[in-house]
Amino acid sequence: MRLLEVEDLHVEFAARGLDNRVRVARALNGVSFTVDAGEVVGLVGETGAGKSLTALAAMGLLRAPARIPQGSIRFEGQDILAMSDRELEKIRGRRMAMVVQSPLTSLDPLKRIGDQLVRMQRVHGTARGAEARARAEAMLAAVRIPDPARRMQAWPHELSGGMAQRVLIAMALVNEPALVIADEPTTGLDVTVQAQVLDTLRDLVRARNLGALVITHDLGVVAHYCQRVAVMFAGRIVEDGPVAEVFARPAHPYTQALIASTPGRIAQLGYTVTGGTPPDLYDLPSGCLYRDRCPRATTACLAPPPRIALDATHGAACHYAWEAA
Amino acid sequence: MMLDVQNLVHRFPGGVNAVNDVSFSIAAGETLGLVGESGSGKSTIGLLVTRLLAPTGGTILFEGEDITRLPPAALRKLRARLQIVFQDPWGSLNPRMTIGRLLEEPLALHTTLDSAARIAEARRLADRVRLPAASLSRYPHELSGGQLQRVSIARAIANRPKLVVLDEPTSSLDLSVRAGILQLLDELQRETGIAMLFISHDLETVRLVSHRVIVLYLGRIVEQAPAATLFDNPAHPYTQVLLSAHLPPDPAMRLRRHEVTGEIPSPINLPPGCFFAGRCPVALPACTAAPPPAIALEAGHSAACLRIADGTNIIDPVEERA
Amino acid sequence: MSATTLDRVVGTARRSPTFAVGFGIILVFALLAAFADILAPMPPTLSHPYETLKPPGSGPFLLGTDGNGMDVLSRVIHGARYAFGIALPAGAIMAVVGIPLGLIAGWRGGWVDEVLLRVLDVLRAFPTIILALAIVAATGQGFLNVILVVGFLDSPIFARIVRAEVLALRNATFVRAAVAAGNPEWRVLLVHILPNAILGATAQLPLRMAWAVRISATLAFIGIGVQAPAPEWGAMIRQGAEYVISGEWWVALFPGLALIAMVLGLNLAGDGLSDLLDPKRRATGK
Repeated sequence: MRLLEVEDLHVEFAARGLDNRVRVARALNGVSFTVDAGEVVGLVGETGAGKSLTALAAMGLLRAPARIPQGSIRFEGQDILAMSDRELEKIRGRRMAMVVQSPLTSLDPLKRIGDQLVRMQRVHGTARGAEARARAEAMLAAVRIPDPARRMQAWPHELSGGMAQRVLIAMALVNEPALVIADEPTTGLDVTVQAQVLDTLRDLVRARNLGALVITHDLGVVAHYCQRVAVMFAGRIVEDGPVAEVFARPAHPYTQALIASTPGRIAQLGYTVTGGTPPDLYDLPSGCLYRDRCPRATTACLAPPPRIALDATHGAACHYAWEAA
Repeated sequence: MMLDVQNLVHRFPGGVNAVNDVSFSIAAGETLGLVGESGSGKSTIGLLVTRLLAPTGGTILFEGEDITRLPPAALRKLRARLQIVFQDPWGSLNPRMTIGRLLEEPLALHTTLDSAARIAEARRLADRVRLPAASLSRYPHELSGGQLQRVSIARAIANRPKLVVLDEPTSSLDLSVRAGILQLLDELQRETGIAMLFISHDLETVRLVSHRVIVLYLGRIVEQAPAATLFDNPAHPYTQVLLSAHLPPDPAMRLRRHEVTGEIPSPINLPPGCFFAGRCPVALPACTAAPPPAIALEAGHSAACLRIADGTNIIDPVEERA
Repeated sequence: MSATTLDRVVGTARRSPTFAVGFGIILVFALLAAFADILAPMPPTLSHPYETLKPPGSGPFLLGTDGNGMDVLSRVIHGARYAFGIALPAGAIMAVVGIPLGLIAGWRGGWVDEVLLRVLDVLRAFPTIILALAIVAATGQGFLNVILVVGFLDSPIFARIVRAEVLALRNATFVRAAVAAGNPEWRVLLVHILPNAILGATAQLPLRMAWAVRISATLAFIGIGVQAPAPEWGAMIRQGAEYVISGEWWVALFPGLALIAMVLGLNLAGDGLSDLLDPKRRATGK
């Protein structure tokens, strides 16, 4: 079942420059992807690619000066962009939930863990009183927090980073949403803790048939926890497809460069990559945005590349997607 | 030996035992990798070795000279030969100095070059780390993270040091930028034979750049070995757990996961025995009695685990999904 | 004015209209103070015994006259000299005493820090105006005394601002990197910490000057410090206050407006300055 459908999403910011002229940063330039129930989709890219912005837009959280001049976001068939704040509040935390990067600052420091989980349910009218407490405790157990009954009484500052991140996942899932958006859920956690948090998230997605969008810059997370991946560059999705397929046969030169810059590949192939600066969002060139860094760019790349389907599920926005690296 | 550290101990005010009896050495031209999770004391060791912190105990020999208790004036002179690069490229450079002045500073401090010669040398340094010449007149906030880290590296190598400590130099950079920095470090070492202490939590990067690797847990060395040996045949149960938790960026590689439970001991109140014993799936009663000695497995490979004696140190992975 | 200078002025004004307005007000008062002898229609203390308490607009007295028959406009214009006479030297004392004190207290800690913090505690526990009043009353009433008392009373507060900046910078990576590069301690302090710490402090300077102008006017209003008939705004307001009830409002109103404008100008300039001095905004306008 289709949960989230983002189509041709554009987001821009107006900012006043030194010379007092208003300039427009085009942060998202045609982002399209879908998330179905029961799958984990990875959204991967480097700093400034627009990953988090995409997540905020999907949650209906974009505010001025951000503008959405073009595109659509549909969640469970409803148009997110047409909804009022009132309607969005009913959905957020209820049907779609978000897990953010900094767990300790995302919990209310003046409320016990259990009370926060109960409040989350009361606000959305899913459960109250003893029932809500029982569900909160069950949720803590589900995210593998040891001794959940006791942890209900814990204050946020008593939790370790990994524990706090699991509490945030519990908060996100306690109202049994259909879609979870996790923005860098394990960045800053130690590797051993990261594995536990991701296992927790994946098991819950499977057990409850949720859809999940995981935003990350870590290709390892994508490789082992996602079924499908969308690679972002300069506010566009340059390649998307099943994870195994994209890693085995990356079609877009940016995806290829990304994979070739992992230390493991460097050890095999030597240093082959030359990093460059991403294009200026205030002054985007026409045509392919990766052109200036691309080893195979030609004059054809002056025209914007369409998404070329390599098979039913795998596509890349490159004129030369058919040519292997 | 370029650097020889013996029985290094550091305790922070408040009783945090950050480094607990650590000994290691680095040869000229060698890169030693220091890996561990947060709280392993790896960054503290970097600060101690460069004497930005004064150790609580132990000795540090640099090029044969005992620098453990060096007075400030001698320490300043030493800094020409002993350098450090920090993790945060955005915070490591004085925001009110131009890149040119930042590059000239180490030359002004340690050489007798006149202003014109310093400017020429700063240009050469910028060129060496592949910074555009135009960036010399810019301020740090006008450069990207990768470029800033190149500036920090150029500052570190300005006086041709013998040892550079690299404290997570690529951890806050994007993947494609990271590769360029690692390549630069590799080239510099080949050209100048500089020794490096590479501190990182990123196992793949450490494997790529290091000749030898030390694994730290709560400020104590649990295992050290040549890089390939350590990653292919980890002996200490903690090393095995650490490596198995890593997610290789390749979906075709199957994960062999080890489950560990139990709490990490507080560095304020450390147990008397092996620090990992409380979480270790193969711990023996004797493990909690006294710190296990480092046991040599083969040349250059040793691990501090009692189980090695009878070969029962390898832990079985919990079978991973397809 | 060359084209580039003009561009820079316009650019500055656009980046911080707050600063531009504040600076503009200060500039007007500075011109008044500098050319008071030319701009003022008559000497500020020239008495017209038969023309006391004339309303604004009567004869040559644009803003009327006071109880001594002195021209209010001329006195308001000359009052700017007293305002700058207190703001500039008091600001200089604050900077000269407060910056080194704050640097040492923030970097070294120790007894300097302890003493500074205790002095600040005392200042916080005591209404400054009463303290200033007591000291001026005890040490003598000259204008110079007022300057010194106001300057030194505010120095610890300025030192605290510098100290807070230094404390934040002390653990900054670039300061650690400066030590690692082999900088001697004095150079770390003066080259790496001071220019970054002074940023926040500079923006505070106009705010503290505004405080100095206000407090000296208050002292004069109470009758301490500058004495009538000197054309000091606070003293003029005090004198004019007597006539407000009997309907001669202009004697107190115009120096009052001047005081408000001057303090507002300094405050706006201070607020705008903190935006302008942020190096991230300076070059790129981000």
